[in-house]
This record gives sequence, C-alpha cells and structure tokens, in this order.
Amino acid sequence: MQYWPFWIGALALGAVPLVHWLLLRRTLAVSGRFTALVDRLRHRDEPEPEAMSLDEMAEALREMVASEYGVDALETPSCGDDVPVADLRPPQTPKQHLAFFGALVLGGSISSLLAGSFGLTPTLHSSVFAEIAKGPVGSAVMLLGGGVLVGFGTRMAGGCTSGHGLCGVSRFQPGSFVATAAFFGMGVVTSFLLGGLR
Amino acid sequence: MKGETLRTAFVGFLMGAALSGIGFTDWGEVHAMFTFADLRLLFTFMGAVMILALGFFLIKKLSKKDPGWRPRLVHRGTLAGGALFGMGWAISGACPSIALVQLGEGQLGALYTLVGIFAGNWIYGAIHERHLRWSTGSCLDD
Repeated sequence: MQYWPFWIGALALGAVPLVHWLLLRRTLAVSGRFTALVDRLRHRDEPEPEAMSLDEMAEALREMVASEYGVDALETPSCGDDVPVADLRPPQTPKQHLAFFGALVLGGSISSLLAGSFGLTPTLHSSVFAEIAKGPVGSAVMLLGGGVLVGFGTRMAGGCTSGHGLCGVSRFQPGSFVATAAFFGMGVVTSFLLGGLR
Repeated sequence: MKGETLRTAFVGFLMGAALSGIGFTDWGEVHAMFTFADLRLLFTFMGAVMILALGFFLIKKLSKKDPGWRPRLVHRGTLAGGALFGMGWAISGACPSIALVQLGEGQLGALYTLVGIFAGNWIYGAIHERHLRWSTGSCLDD
C-alpha cells in the first residue's frame, strides 16, 4: 500500500486542526465529541443544554458556583486567564457532533476509493492484524477490548491524539505532554508484546 | 453561528480524507510506528505538531482578543488514562477518529472498536461521577 510521504502527511494533518479553529473557533478534540454524545445519552431525561441562551447559562453557572463554593467565589475568577466573554460559546449540538462523525466516515470512503485502498472486510485490512488476531473471535476481542480501553482512557486523560497529541502539545500544555508521553509509551510497550504473538 | 453544522462536517471530511491517505487507519502502519519498524507515521505526527505550534502561535499573536483556549493541566487521570488509551490504541489500531475513518474505508471490524469506545467512555463517565469526582483542572470540560 502506497501512503503519502511524511511531509505531505504532516502538512495535511497539521492543516486540519488549523482549519477547524479558523472555521469553528474551537480547538479540535475528537474524544470530547464522543464524551458529549455519551453524556447526552446518559442524561437524556434532562433538558438539552443548547436549549438555554448564553445569559441563562451564565446565570445557572453563577447559581451553581454560589451553592457549591459560596457567594465569595463569584468575586474571584478561578480560571486564571482573562477570557473575553465574547469568545465563550455554547457547546456544539449532538447533531453537529454526528455531522463531524459522518463526515469522517465519508472522508475515509472518498479518500480510499480514490487511492484504490477501499475494500469491504468484516475485520481490518491489515494482514499483520490478521496474523496476530488468529481468526474472527480473536479479531472481535481485540477490537472491542481495545476500543473499551480507548474510550475509558481518553475520557480519563481528558483527551486523545487530536486534543492532547496535536492541539495540546503544540500549545505547550503540561497535561498534554504527560498524556501524550503516556499513550505513546504504553503504545510502544503493548505493540512489542503483541508482536510476540505473530 | 449559521452554517456551523456544514462547516463542522467540512472539517470532518478533510480529517477523514487525510487520515486515510496518510495510512493512520492501517493497523499494520500503526504497529510499525509503535515498534519503530517504520518511522514515517512518527515523522508525520511530529511534523504536524511543529506546523501546529507555528500555526497556533501565529493565531494567538495575530488575533485581537485572547482566543480563550482552555488550559490542559495534569490531573490525577492524565497519566493512567493516557496509558490505558495507548494500550487500547496499540491493540485496536484506532484512536477515536480513526475508528470512524476505518469504517468509511470498508474495514467493518471498526464497528467493534466504536462500540468499545462508546462503552469505555460511558463506563469512565459513570465511575468518575459516582466515585472519583476529582477536578480535571479546567473550568470548561470537553
């Protein structure tokens, strides 16, 4: 399989979060979109947050802060930086998260059709994966189990490859350095162990 | 903002097309990256981070207002969460966006991965709310 050389890939992968910021004024964070959708389902009996206006949301926030930490907490800003209120925006809607997800699928389809790498398979394309999984049961266990770890870990760490690895490290965020070092390091260890199963 | 859904989808499409073309969706390529058998994906990623460091620096420099980026601080879940994610990425060959792009390429096994990601995210959310409840060090959670 002929993939893009690293410098074309780097330009494309670097452009995506910048376009995301320029078009949406939000930093790219894909696992955050999963979290938003999951929480929408977990709290589906509560009113949708986007049904509130920004003023209502600010008022509700003040009330919550006052009841949790007392009225004094309202006087002292706890976020450190002075964030202009104009830049605060409500979270994206479930529909927008799903639009992003659907477009990721479509982008993969078009790109792979053009490259000639598209192909329907019940598992994955990789022959190395097939060697290690050793059959449909092993494949399902690896993908489902690995997926659970990905979902659990990204939410626990507060981000994934996009939010921490790309957007966090490039903005020199301490949490992103730790998370990226942790997932990369553990990825290396796990891959060497898996390689032993070939 | 008007048309935000369409713009969101546009960025998603670009990202999906790029990840597929790069081969980040290929389990074998990811395995080769993690075992240092092939450094192409590693250089791709590091190159992207360098481009972004310059891009975000310029955005911050040129914008009149503070962009209002929320800080990403170290908290009690950062290290352990990152490690669990790394293990899952090496096993499934997918980070959250990759699973969706794999599906688009016809790799239907990614459906298992997606179910797993949703389940894992759900489980951690429930555990955190009921038992852990530590601060993630940020005023605005994702």
